Amino acid sequence: MSHIPRRALSLPRPLLLGGAILLASTLVAAFPGAVAPYDPLAMDYVNLLAPPSAAHPFGTDNFGRDVLSRVLHAYTIDMQIALFATLFPFVFGTLVGAVVGYVGGTPEAVFGRVVDAVITFPFLVLVIAIVSVLGPGLGNMYIAIGVVGWVFYARIVAAEVKVQTRLDYADAGRAMGYTHARIVFRHLLPNAITPAVVYWMTDMALAILLGSSLGYLGLGAQPPAAEWGVQIADGKNFMATAWWISVFPGIAIVITGLGFSLLGDGLAEVLRGRR
Amino acid sequence: MVEALLSAEDVSKDFAFPRSVVDLLRRRHVTAVHALNGVSLDVRRGETLGIVGESGCGKSTLARCLVRLHDCDRGRVVFDGTDIATLRGAARRRFNARVQMIFQDPYSSLNPRMSVRQILSEALRVHRMRPAGEIDGRIAELLEMVRLPADAADRHPHAFSGGQRQRIGIARALAVEPEVLVADELVSALDVSVQAQVVNLLLELQDRLDLTIVFVAHDLRLVRHISHRVAVMYLGKVVEVAPTEALFTDPRHPYTQALLAAAPEIDPGRRSRRAGARGELPSPIDLPPGCLFHTRCPHAFDRCPRDVPELGPRGPGHAAACHLDAPAPRP
Amino acid sequence: MSGPVLRVRDLITTFGQGAQALCAVDGVSFDVGPGEVLGLVGESGSGKSVTLRSLLRLLPAGGHVAGRVEWQGRDVLAMSEAELRGVRGGQISMIFQEPMTALNPVLPVRVQIEENLRAHTDLDGRGRRARSRELMDLVGIPDAGRRLDEYPHQFSGGMRQRVMIAIALASDPKLLLADEPTTALDVTIQDQILHLILDLRDALAMSVVFVTHDLGVVSATCDRMAVMYAGRIVEEGAVRDVFAGPRHAYTRGLLGSIPQAGAERSMLLSIEGTPPGLAAIPPGCAFNPRCDFATEICRAVRPDLAEMAPVHRAACHNAEAVAAAGSPVRSALADG
Ligand SMILES: Nc1ncnc2c1ncn2[C@@H]1O[C@H](COP(=O)(O)OP(=O)(O)OP(=O)(O)O)[C@@H](O)[C@H]1O
Ligand SMILES: Nc1ncnc2c1ncn2[C@@H]1O[C@H](COP(=O)(O)OP(=O)(O)O)[C@@H](O)[C@H]1O
Ligand code: SF4
Ligand code: SF4
Ligand SMILES: [Mg+2]
Ligand SMILES: [Mg+2]
Repeated sequence: MSHIPRRALSLPRPLLLGGAILLASTLVAAFPGAVAPYDPLAMDYVNLLAPPSAAHPFGTDNFGRDVLSRVLHAYTIDMQIALFATLFPFVFGTLVGAVVGYVGGTPEAVFGRVVDAVITFPFLVLVIAIVSVLGPGLGNMYIAIGVVGWVFYARIVAAEVKVQTRLDYADAGRAMGYTHARIVFRHLLPNAITPAVVYWMTDMALAILLGSSLGYLGLGAQPPAAEWGVQIADGKNFMATAWWISVFPGIAIVITGLGFSLLGDGLAEVLRGRR
Repeated sequence: MVEALLSAEDVSKDFAFPRSVVDLLRRRHVTAVHALNGVSLDVRRGETLGIVGESGCGKSTLARCLVRLHDCDRGRVVFDGTDIATLRGAARRRFNARVQMIFQDPYSSLNPRMSVRQILSEALRVHRMRPAGEIDGRIAELLEMVRLPADAADRHPHAFSGGQRQRIGIARALAVEPEVLVADELVSALDVSVQAQVVNLLLELQDRLDLTIVFVAHDLRLVRHISHRVAVMYLGKVVEVAPTEALFTDPRHPYTQALLAAAPEIDPGRRSRRAGARGELPSPIDLPPGCLFHTRCPHAFDRCPRDVPELGPRGPGHAAACHLDAPAPRP
Repeated sequence: MSGPVLRVRDLITTFGQGAQALCAVDGVSFDVGPGEVLGLVGESGSGKSVTLRSLLRLLPAGGHVAGRVEWQGRDVLAMSEAELRGVRGGQISMIFQEPMTALNPVLPVRVQIEENLRAHTDLDGRGRRARSRELMDLVGIPDAGRRLDEYPHQFSGGMRQRVMIAIALASDPKLLLADEPTTALDVTIQDQILHLILDLRDALAMSVVFVTHDLGVVSATCDRMAVMYAGRIVEEGAVRDVFAGPRHAYTRGLLGSIPQAGAERSMLLSIEGTPPGLAAIPPGCAFNPRCDFATEICRAVRPDLAEMAPVHRAACHNAEAVAAAGSPVRSALADG
């Protein structure tokens, strides 16, 4: 144990646990072939709907595909969804929020109306509406989530930047003759971004749920791709006879979501402590 | 006449309350806090000008107008012959370096995520005070100037006490080699013993660097100690300005007299059993007409609520804004 | 003069348990005489507020008090909760620095005054109403009848402090504990409140313990003073005596830190360094790392509070040297 740096040991437990889960998930997502026993698309018509066994630990589905392999290969798509569906909203929302929170006045009032408009619709309904217009598929799903999702980040960052702007160090920067860009991005944002980062982690968990929901509804990833939502949808007609088709992808969603939440909690603790 | 380096000419500043849609529909007047109501004063090269007054009288607002953290609504601030509102781009940055401000709150005036070295080197780099190679040397020099240990450079603000943080604030201001320092309640948040350290430092730096200082504070004793001249503010106006000695020994405005009488003496032999002033500060939203002090003034007479008294001469460099030339201080 | 109304002996207040326990008040003893105003001065963190709160066992969770606090012959620290309730806000009242947080923002002032009257007097509803008006008049709030039905946020800072005092006076206390009641106020308002407290002391024959960090306030209002440093009283005596001839180096340094008329733009006699944190109080005399008078013994042995002159006590090994250095306060007393 002596080679573990002391710093790592003093990190909060949720951070370590969440980090471990996500590290493992990322590795599986990057090299699913290395861990999956079968080809996720290979059908085996002899073993249809086989219950979990030594050969197929998670059983097989109605096409005889190995559920374990499909769950593992789905990591690739679902981890991508977690990242791609949230990266643009995080970056763009943070930038908009920082500027709006710093400038205040009319831009802030306009932004306030945008927030009102967006939060009066349920997020899922809004995304489904946009995807139905653009057509199903992962790419369009990212666009739909991006169009709406940045607003939440912008709201969080704007509020926090506004608080920071009232502190004297922001004025000190102005009195020093620093440019607005320097004050916002060098001084205010680093102090204001913590809640947005924490929300980002939670949002990745939500994105996986959302991606799976859309997959389930046939609006996200398209069959026969291995994706947890698609898999759950595949198994829905066999719930009574072959529960394993839907339950194992469900567990994967829960574990990955938990990883993100734990990481978010841990990060919150660490970043707040640093102040 | 000594040259005025920085002057406020009839400066006013209002802070309007945000109006709701209902207010707009009902055509309600804009309500506003009248923080400054026509302040005129000169800061002369090399002097310390003290600005005193009770909380809310506009001291900080004036300080912020002087460094252009606020733009004034009426009047202008002139630095070295130029109206600072007209400065743009490089000229404005140059002004920011020549006139520096130090803030009251040692806990919020430093960016918590930057080390002292980052804070100081940013100031040095942005204003191109030193070539990159000399920056570390200059930082060491600045730290030594404000009496901080050399190893302070690589620590973050949270590792310092209030007094030490104020020193960091002073070092940051001095980094850009300013001519004028505007210090807003520099030591009010500090313990008495630490206050004395910082005051001593400021006096010493002023001598060494030929600084012009605007020292804003509510503590009369401190202001008296440190200033060459003192301006007394009441409700966003300068009511009296005079050389320190004259102001404290021969105050000519009833408000100054009340303020001096109210400040507790540190000599237990000079205790008084009478309160120095009656009544409370009127709201800065609805200012009294005429002389702003008439609601509390023991000398008020019929002219006071009608006519606004102008600052008039009372002696060499001494001016007061009162209809009476020499109101007798109350015993 | 009859005996003291309050006798505090070896008051020790700790926070936390076991090895991590921090001692915020470390063996404090003092008396308060009838009708006397005792000033408790010191810098931030020296233990003034904790001392004051310990007297009534009003400590936050985790705080523990030991020692004796004798109020009219009975030990407050040994009282049952029920007995204590009779004393708190009854014979002993307390006022705080920030009147906004000490008043309940959602109740009109009348309710808050009458609440205290109900708890500590046997007045009926009518009597209470009349008495609350009287109290508002007493503390100098004009138009008492109307203002009684207003809420705390409708009062200015000074008026709120007056309301706090009115509530504290509701029970006819014999001792008023005041924790920096004027620190948040402007000078002219502070002056009014200080004079109000002194007038009430005379009119109601109360004793007052007045916590402040401002030596000017002590000089202007208190009869006796106790100076605290790192949780201990380091000097105690009549205000005039202490100002005229401090016997502890810290007191002398504090007095010298205050700018005085006639010495404009000179260097102040400052104390180097900062007060120690509770977790790192230096051995020996806690003040020794900052002290110009420190000698070998100061680093090893903690000085006890000892009688230096009649009713003037100090805890300093080199009290003679400090006394010989004289008071930094230019005094009309000394001149005249
Ligand atoms: N609830 C608590 N838990 C732990 N330590 C405490 C607690 N309350 C106070 N202390 C510590 O006890 C010491 C004395 O605090 P106290 O509030 O009495 O100081 P003070 O002299 O009143 O200072 P100030 O002038 O800032 O009001 C301080 O070091 C403080 O940090
Ligand atoms: N940014 C602001 N917005 C609204 N009102 C303000 C603002 N800054 C100051 N004020 C008001 O202006 C008046 C003067 O304030 P200030 O200059 O801070 O007083 P001082 O420094 O003398 O205590 C006060 O009534 C204050 O509440
Ligand atoms: S003008 Fe009148 S009210 Fe104003 S200070 Fe002079 S005497 Fe008092
Ligand atoms: S005991 Fe020693 S260290 Fe403490 S105050 Fe006296 S001289 Fe200074
Ligand atoms: Mg101010
Ligand atoms: Mg306190």
